[in-house]
Amino acid sequence: MSNEPFIIFELVGTKYAISSQMVQRMEMIEQITPVPNSPSFVEGVVFSRGQVIPAINLRVRFGFEKIRYDIRTRLIVIKANDRTVGLIADSAREFVVIPADAIQPPPEAICGLSDKYLTGIAISGEKLVLILNCEEVLKFSNNSLAAFGNS
Amino acid sequence: MTNLFSSFLDDYFAECDEHLMAIRQNLLFVEPYVNQPLLSRSILDKLFGSFHSIKGLSGMVGVNEAEQLAHEMESYLRALRDNKVVLTTEGLDALLSGTKILEEVITAYRIQNPAPDIVPICDRFRTIFTKPEAQEQEQEKSELQEKVELNLPGQSIPTVADTQPKAPKSLKLKPEESIQLAAALEKGNRAWQFEFLPGTEKAARGINVNTVRQRLQSIGQLIHAEPIALENGGIAFDFIVVSNADTDTFADWEKDGISYLPYSEQEIKSQQSTVNSQNEESENGRAGERESGGAEIKSQKSTVKSQKEERESGTTAESPRKAENLDNISPTPPLPHSPAPPLPFTVAPSNVVRVDLARLDELMQMVGELVITRSRLADNLNNLKTILPASHLRTLRETNLTLERQLRDLREGVMRVRMVPIGEIFVRMQFAIRDLVKETQKQVVLEVSGETTEIDKFIVERMMNPLLHLVRNAVSHGLEEQQERVRWGKSPQGKIALRATTVGEMVTIEVEDDGRGVNVEAVTSSAREQESIGADTTLSSETLLDLICASGFSTRKEADLTSGRGVGMTVVKNTVTELGGFLSLDTQVGRGTRFIIQLPLTLAIADALIVSVSGQTFAIPLSSVHEITQVPSADVTLYPTFANASVMGGEWGDKFFKPLRESKWENNEMIAHRGTVLPLIRLARIFNLENEIPGSDAEENLQPTLKKELNTQTNILQSINSQSLLNLVVVGNGFSAAAIVVDRILGQREIVVRPLTDPLVQVTGIAGATELGDGYAVLILDIIALTRAARIKN
Repeated sequence: MSNEPFIIFELVGTKYAISSQMVQRMEMIEQITPVPNSPSFVEGVVFSRGQVIPAINLRVRFGFEKIRYDIRTRLIVIKANDRTVGLIADSAREFVVIPADAIQPPPEAICGLSDKYLTGIAISGEKLVLILNCEEVLKFSNNSLAAFGNS
Repeated sequence: MTNLFSSFLDDYFAECDEHLMAIRQNLLFVEPYVNQPLLSRSILDKLFGSFHSIKGLSGMVGVNEAEQLAHEMESYLRALRDNKVVLTTEGLDALLSGTKILEEVITAYRIQNPAPDIVPICDRFRTIFTKPEAQEQEQEKSELQEKVELNLPGQSIPTVADTQPKAPKSLKLKPEESIQLAAALEKGNRAWQFEFLPGTEKAARGINVNTVRQRLQSIGQLIHAEPIALENGGIAFDFIVVSNADTDTFADWEKDGISYLPYSEQEIKSQQSTVNSQNEESENGRAGERESGGAEIKSQKSTVKSQKEERESGTTAESPRKAENLDNISPTPPLPHSPAPPLPFTVAPSNVVRVDLARLDELMQMVGELVITRSRLADNLNNLKTILPASHLRTLRETNLTLERQLRDLREGVMRVRMVPIGEIFVRMQFAIRDLVKETQKQVVLEVSGETTEIDKFIVERMMNPLLHLVRNAVSHGLEEQQERVRWGKSPQGKIALRATTVGEMVTIEVEDDGRGVNVEAVTSSAREQESIGADTTLSSETLLDLICASGFSTRKEADLTSGRGVGMTVVKNTVTELGGFLSLDTQVGRGTRFIIQLPLTLAIADALIVSVSGQTFAIPLSSVHEITQVPSADVTLYPTFANASVMGGEWGDKFFKPLRESKWENNEMIAHRGTVLPLIRLARIFNLENEIPGSDAEENLQPTLKKELNTQTNILQSINSQSLLNLVVVGNGFSAAAIVVDRILGQREIVVRPLTDPLVQVTGIAGATELGDGYAVLILDIIALTRAARIKN
């Protein structure tokens, strides 16, 4: 892992990065079909390239407030552990290469569970970028739901 | 490298599967030839080839046990092919068990289990065919043939009586020929058996089977003609001629290769006795009476096979028939019991491509996307209406229509590629029956029809075990013991029929027996004991089926090897329902039972009813829709809910989800409909949908395509005034029937079914998703889960 390319997306004014290896594609939000009785952060399902994939609202997932989708909203389709899901982010436009030595482990100061969802923190162009651990984000258990789901 | 090897391994397993399938098929054809002097060479060649290939492949891959066993079996087959040994019942059994073990060895290698022990079976083959020939012949003539456990009466194969000086071949006369013969003999003629050995030298002199036939006809009446295969692989022709000519007339025909013998009276008598009686053992002291038996496999024509035919077809060689025009030879097909149409999977391997099912799935998916893209195109064209000149628009629309047609053809083409003949599993059923016949000491005749019916490969795979279970049930529960059958005035042989037909978009598979029928009394009393029905309920066939398929239900007090644990039928019913099919039952006490399975041709595409509830659109598989009706809302009966009447008890406890409010699932509404009580399913409540007030802007949320559909559909039940009328879709049947309350019915569509694979969106009541051409996902309801949850418990 020397210089890895990342996709940068924004959520509530913060920049996050996902390893571009995981990202299949990015789409505009069209129509999301709600799935009854699914976890609260699951907005529903969308058809993407003939597959039905769940669309996860990252704001809800991380305990923030929902906002209306607009022209900047993006569905980032990622594939991890044989699962394909869409992550809804406020916007996603950048593609950067972050040198491995620029990535630091997440500081202890960030309390709670969030460090589980981050593999590290990087400084990219004067801005902090949180590097997302996709596998963890997609893992769900009742505990994490209790922690994050605003039921 | 490892990848290369693993893909090579995949090929190995696939090829072995094919060979094993061909072997099973051909072994069934061989069965009638047991203890016959002549075996169909072509079948032996095929069998030999299959084992040879498995041997070679296994050697390459390094599955030594398979290689060794295939080698033993191949050697035995070679001996059979070269007429060194006669196929005995023992030999056939060894071939069958050997095939089974061979399959086990290969499967064990596939799942990396230790291979089963092949030493005993290999020893069996060695003992069978390493007997010196003398001993073999001894056995041929031994008085005491060991009888097989499963002998069908009236299949005696007469062999040559020892007293004959120069043993004539035993000939198989047709009934009418025997009568002709008897009539001619009564007139004082003598019967002669002539044998002609053709040869190139003789043919050069103009002596061939046709000229010999003319010669024979010149001296008397030619009663019978038959080709005989010789030990050395050659061929001879035997004729029976009734003549009053002097022997001098034909004595010097010897030099032309025509030998003669007086045709014995005794032989004739025995011929007649077997003609006249079907189930009588022929009694005139012929040595070496043989019995062969087992489950007869017939196809297409379900005539009761007379032993006469059995014996005729058993020794008719096929090759000379084509070469020589022996018009007196019975026009029966050369192969006994061979299914009339050749099954498609016997095509030459050279023009067959093996494709992984997953690739076809992908292909199907792409086609589905194309279909959707095309409907978007159609929408866009409609938007151009106002701008484009009419002529341009027309050509565009025509192109679009052509595209639509071509896509439909493409989709059908891809679907056809996935289809396999159902005969593949029917062959396995035949083997299962054969084993059962041995275990149960019952006699079974199996009829198979429609084995060329094609169905999606995936469905075939899934149906294998359920069908096996039904067939086992039919033999062990359905068919009575022989004595009992005779008491009821039935034929001692039980009949089991496997049928398949295509009806529109569905394939119907039937498993029928002519046994005792389902004992309604026993089922009813067991059900009452288990309190699944009320004390005075009478059973419809649907309810009966529901009871039989209920988990843990068995009328048996004790389980045996074949059945009786009460889970099999549950599996049958569940599998059929999961595949979007129907199971029904038709039974008459003392007359028999018929299970009817209706399955969709393919899982990928289904017809669905599109409905809307609270502004959300859902698809209901049409296969589970019984009727669409309207009832006044006043007719709905509410009943008090009981605190612990939860239907969600743990069954749906999914760690991914919030515990559902039980009351949401608890049904407390029902309606009387056609004499039964139906629970109501309110999706709005179950799915937490916003309750729609008719005429509100919920309709505005409908997708544009659907709105169009709303306006164009003519056969839609409009909810005129939802205050007074409820639109109901009645789904499921029997115990599990229920009525789903919908706001609107938007029409019927052919949908491409997509499963919801991610655990995040796998929820109770939703089976999958589809889209109707606008890219917007529409959820497909899981009727089984919904009706199960709605079932009224009290």
